[in-house]
Amino acid sequence: MDKLERLLNLTAALLDADRVLSADELRRRIGGYPEAKASFRRTFERDKEDLRKMGIPLRVENVPGADPPVDGYRILRSEYAGRDLRLEPDELAALHLATSIVRLDGGETGLHKLGGTTSGAIDATEVGHVPFDENLAALIAAAADRQAVGFTYAGIERAVEPWRLSFSRGHWYLSGWDRVREDQRLYRVDRVSGPIELLDNATQPVGTPTDPSSLRGWELGDETPTTVRVAVDPDQAAYLQHLIGEDSTQHDETTVVTFEVRNREGFRSFILTFLEHAEVLDPPEAREDIVSWLEALT
Amino acid sequence: MNPRLTASERMIRLLAVIPWVVEQQGAPLDEIVARFDYPRSQLVEDLTGVVFFVGVHPFTPDSMIEVDISDDEVQIRYADWFSRPLRLTPGEGARLLTAGHSLIGGDFATGDEGDEAASPLLRALTKLGMALGEAADQAVEVRLGHAPTETLPPLRSALNRGEKIDIEYYTYGRDELTRRIVEPLRIFSDNGNWYLHAWCHRATDERIFRVDRIRSVRLTGESVEHQASDSGGSFTPHGDDPRVRLRLHPDAAWVTEQYPTESVETDSQGRFVVTMAVSAAGWLERLMLRLGPKGEIVSVDPPLSAGLVSNAANRVLERYR
Repeated sequence: MDKLERLLNLTAALLDADRVLSADELRRRIGGYPEAKASFRRTFERDKEDLRKMGIPLRVENVPGADPPVDGYRILRSEYAGRDLRLEPDELAALHLATSIVRLDGGETGLHKLGGTTSGAIDATEVGHVPFDENLAALIAAAADRQAVGFTYAGIERAVEPWRLSFSRGHWYLSGWDRVREDQRLYRVDRVSGPIELLDNATQPVGTPTDPSSLRGWELGDETPTTVRVAVDPDQAAYLQHLIGEDSTQHDETTVVTFEVRNREGFRSFILTFLEHAEVLDPPEAREDIVSWLEALT
Repeated sequence: MNPRLTASERMIRLLAVIPWVVEQQGAPLDEIVARFDYPRSQLVEDLTGVVFFVGVHPFTPDSMIEVDISDDEVQIRYADWFSRPLRLTPGEGARLLTAGHSLIGGDFATGDEGDEAASPLLRALTKLGMALGEAADQAVEVRLGHAPTETLPPLRSALNRGEKIDIEYYTYGRDELTRRIVEPLRIFSDNGNWYLHAWCHRATDERIFRVDRIRSVRLTGESVEHQASDSGGSFTPHGDDPRVRLRLHPDAAWVTEQYPTESVETDSQGRFVVTMAVSAAGWLERLMLRLGPKGEIVSVDPPLSAGLVSNAANRVLERYR
């Protein structure tokens, strides 16, 4: 028997059952499985794995009254079928277009389950690529459904209520409530070690997620804030202002920009990307920091 | 279209095709092919050779699915177990939500048309969100790039209208600002940045420009003359760019995340040894000044000018003397 036919019959049998069925009962009811016990077991295990990968919610419970215990299987119809989204044709087409324009790494989008794609293959130019993986999918699903999650980050076990997943400047960030620290935190998703464990319902209200693009290297620190003034050449000024989103004052040929620095190293790294087109004016310590750093490189 | 689908891919499709055809009370074969991306011959084979034999114990006619194809019209009956589509997995839902939210937001405005409120995409995302959870609307945010709000709309508008533009562009690697007339061919996002692929009259060739380094855009009113070549302006380092080998302190791992590397090794003291393409000397100067004592050039092939780092440091120091 064709593997596809066997998998469809297995699924139909599990959906049709009004109680859990043991592997042996399934073998007798479906047919198409190998006779030898060991090879039946192997094939059956593979089939179960295939169904799970497709997202079919296979339940495993003990067969009532069996001694010693025997695994029994069934699929509940209420768990098998999703909520009917009732998408209009133009809504389905818009989702289809979105998945064609933005390429996400790996995985199915499930559009078929929503009624397929009204227009068939569409001729849309892909405009963007966004990295995507199963950890990220699990975090998004948890944030949408207000579930707390557990994972390892920087070698430490975390319990987090996810608020929002943001893709910004080439990286995914998770903003949420850290239950252990009892504070809002931002995590880089590519540094989250999976698997993502689903905990319980979130209890904290959703706060204002941290916008990762608002973070500046010179602001991420615990140092005493210092006001640093920098002169920038005119042709770099617009770019700098776009980057930091702040006003500046014009002095003849140069533009003077003010920074509130809480991380000297981050500030130095940023300002050196302007090479000789930017100059730290004051305070003297900040100026001296750049000078001594550069002198060590000559 | 996939020439050959695996058993799982066929099953996923059939579990969607069956309830859809049942609900439609029959559907043309070709529409199923298009909607579900199902190769025609495979679909016919699977419906008549597989689905036709699916049912439950004792597999008497009344406990089996009935499939009938006549005049290229498909009828499916008695498929009670598969009368509703399989639910979306959390991964599928998250993917749809992410793809949809990528297209929501100002980066897609051209300034030429009305707003996107009540667009089919927004309606679809609202319905999808209701199935995924109460907080789905806020759960994902995607910024395909960070470009000044005054740059992208005129670029999109020029691209749509086929109009030449006059841009001021800052070449980061060579640290120079140039003016050029370009013909927009495509706007795309990669790794969180917007890029303009265009025919450049200054280079008399196709070029890729990072949109956040375009300092000004002026529409010229002139029509474009060039079309995109087949190569599509692929975004890869040139094969003949010099290659640099750097030794990095463990704290400087950000370099490997921020720039494309060709190889990364770890030495016995936990330092990284990386090989990267150098598109222009100015890029390497900046990187080395930022790294300071945490980075060291092992070799450059073919060699760049000796004293590259100290020369750059001295140039900056000039401003402070």
